[in-house]
This record gives sequence, C-alpha cells and structure tokens, in this order.
Amino acid sequence: MQCDDLGPEMLEYLAGTLPDDRLAEIRAHLAQCQACRDDVDATAELWNELGAAPAPRPESSRMRARFDAALQGYIDGQAESRVVSFAAARRPALRWQPWLQFAGAAALVVIGVGLGRFVTVGPPAQSNSEIALLREELRDTRQMVTLSLLQQQSASERLKGVNTSSQLEQPSTEVVAALLDTLKRDPNVNVRLASVDALRRFSGRDAVRKGVVEALPQQESPLVQIAMVDFILEAAGPDAKGVLQRLAEDMMLNQAVRARAERGLKQVGL
Amino acid sequence: MRAVREGDLTRMGVLFERHHRPLFDFLYRMTGDRGAAEDLVQDVFVRMLRYRATYRDDGRFETWMFRIARNVRADHYRKHGAAVYVPDDDMDWASSEPGPGHLLERAREMARLNRALQSLREDRRELIVMVRYQGMSHEQVGAVLGVDAGTVKVRFHRALKELRDAFSRVPEGE
Repeated sequence: MQCDDLGPEMLEYLAGTLPDDRLAEIRAHLAQCQACRDDVDATAELWNELGAAPAPRPESSRMRARFDAALQGYIDGQAESRVVSFAAARRPALRWQPWLQFAGAAALVVIGVGLGRFVTVGPPAQSNSEIALLREELRDTRQMVTLSLLQQQSASERLKGVNTSSQLEQPSTEVVAALLDTLKRDPNVNVRLASVDALRRFSGRDAVRKGVVEALPQQESPLVQIAMVDFILEAAGPDAKGVLQRLAEDMMLNQAVRARAERGLKQVGL
Repeated sequence: MRAVREGDLTRMGVLFERHHRPLFDFLYRMTGDRGAAEDLVQDVFVRMLRYRATYRDDGRFETWMFRIARNVRADHYRKHGAAVYVPDDDMDWASSEPGPGHLLERAREMARLNRALQSLREDRRELIVMVRYQGMSHEQVGAVLGVDAGTVKVRFHRALKELRDAFSRVPEGE
C-alpha cells in the first residue's frame, strides 16, 4: 500500500467502516509511516473542529409564515386561473346577469366584516391562557417530533432528530436519554458525532457526563471517540485527568484517540 | 411529496416543516449570509411547488431537493455575484461551548475555520458541507451531483486537504 492510497479512504478508516482486510492493510501501513499517522491525526482533528462550527438557527416561524403566504397565493392563483377559464367559456350567459356579481360582492363584504368582528372580539385573559396552552402544546409536539425522528430508519432523518433537539429550550429527560442512547447505539458515524455536539448543552448534568464516559470504550469509530474525549475535557476540566490517563494508556484504542487524550492531559496540566 | 405532485398542495407545509432547517444550514454555509439563506430556502420550496411534476418516485426526496437547492443557489450567484463572506454580527460562535475558560479561544478558532471554509472553491466547499453537515454518504452526494461514489470520495479527500491547507494559512488571532 502507498501513502497516496490512504487519502480517499481516510475518513472511512476514521469512521471505522472499512472492511477488516482493508483495515488491516491500512493499520500495517500506518505502523511504519509517521507522515500518514500525522495525516490521520490532522484529518480527525479537522473533522471534529468542523462539527463544532455552528450555523445560526433559522427564524422558522417567520419563514413558515412567508412560505404559507406564498403557498396560499399559488393555490389561489391556480383556483383563479381555473375560474377564469371556466368564466371565459360561460361569458355570454354571465354578462346578462350583473345583479349576480353585485350580490356576490356584497355577500363577501358582509362575511369579511363579520369574520373580523368575530376574530377581534373576546376577553384578553382567555387569549393569553390559550396562547400559553398553545406554546406548551408546541413544545410537547417538538419533543415528540425529536423522539420520533431519532427512531427513523434513515440516517438523515435521525440526524435531523439530533439537530431538532437543539431547538428545544428545555428538553425533557427523555430527550436527553434518547440522545445518549443515539450516541451509544446509532450505526451512523455522523449521527453519533452530532449527538456528541447536541449533548454538550447538557454537559453540566452528572448523568450525561457519566453516560459519555461509559460509552467511550464501546465506540468503534476513532472520530467519535476523539469528539467524546473533547467533550469530557470540556465538561470535566481537571477532573477529567483520571479518565484521560486511562484512555492515553489504553493500547486497544486507536493511536489518534490516545494522542488526543495525551494532549488533553497536557491541557489540564499533567 | 407524492401527495403534492398528485395535487394536494397543502402538504407542502409538512415538507417545509421537515426540511427547511437542513436546507437553511446548507444554504447558509454556502453563502455565509443569513438573510440570503432564508430567501433561498423560500425559493427552493416555491420551485418544488412549480416543478412538482418532475419529482420521480425512484429517487430519494432529499436528492431531488438538493438538486433544486443547488440550482437556486447558482441562479442567486449569477444575479448577485459569488458570495463574499462577512460573518453575521449576531452569530454566537461560542454558543456550543460550556467552559468559560475556553470560550474566547474556541470562538476565534471557529471563526478561522469558517473563514478557511469560505475561502475554498465553491464545489469543494459544497462537498464538505454535504458530507459533514448534512450527513450525506458518498453515494447520496454522487446522486445529487450526477457522479459516482468513487469520484465523490476522491474529490472529497482533495477538498478536505485544501481546507486543511487553507486553515493553516488563515492567521491566528484574527
């Protein structure tokens, strides 16, 4: 195997998705090539850095309102064009009935005024409680959507589920537990990586820190392991020394992961 | 989408709810402009509505959607020129980091990395955004771009290498 052969397969190597025979070849090459080992380390680090680069959240409600208006306009436009073509076919008959058009317009005005009064009149206290209730329902729905997406077959859908969790202001324990479970069991590397990022928001919780530490040895992907080492380092700071020490000395772990743990130890002052 | 194609246009709302966030993320990372990304998301959904008859059952919906998104973005560039990245003022680069000691340093690193990403050629940046941020496999990216997975793999490796080089060239402390 040549150094150039490694490049296109590096990500699959780091993700732990290569077949065993190819994995063995790459490992053998890495054992004797310092330049490629450095290349693998740098790529793994860059990959995780990219994952930590945030994008702003879209103004979903404003965008939805705009889209609904555009959609309604499109639907109305289609209905109108159907009416126009129908009217064109019938024009001679309608032309002799102007009273019908006048009566229709008058009826529309009456309905519009009535609807306006109906919508605007009503006790404000009741409106406020209804709004609060709606908000609560919306929050529950979002939690349900998140949990449901995390169960989907498609990795893209599960990725959406993980990302949706970041839209929740106060996610339930159930959502946090589902994220931890995703980190432990999801077959897709990108979904697991996204769950590490999502769990950062809850790194203050003991159960989350403990869950991530426990899940680390079960991971097969060095990319995810490196992201988890970063998580542990950020969440626990100097308290992470013991865990990092164990990782740095664990010869069963990928060399890039051990190197990251060693750098972490230096960061916390060991 | 099948229901929309058959005439139930009200189902577009469900598609919007489900897909507007990943589309926004893709278009924001491609344009570096929040306002433009929001406008382009609207354009993508309006085009889906107009060209719903071109949707075929044999492909993934996301493939079709991202093809439309690429066309919308290309039209945007033709009208307004290629993106010149200016970080949003309200962008909280440090929001995902809990430890206060690392905040400033991490925020600077993220800004450097983003600058490096924006400095890449558009087709390179697009590959990184689709694989890293949309979680798409090489096969899925290949379906969007109309090339095979092997080609995506090689191009992606080249893009990542260029990003590393660009990242190392962006001065620290900016």
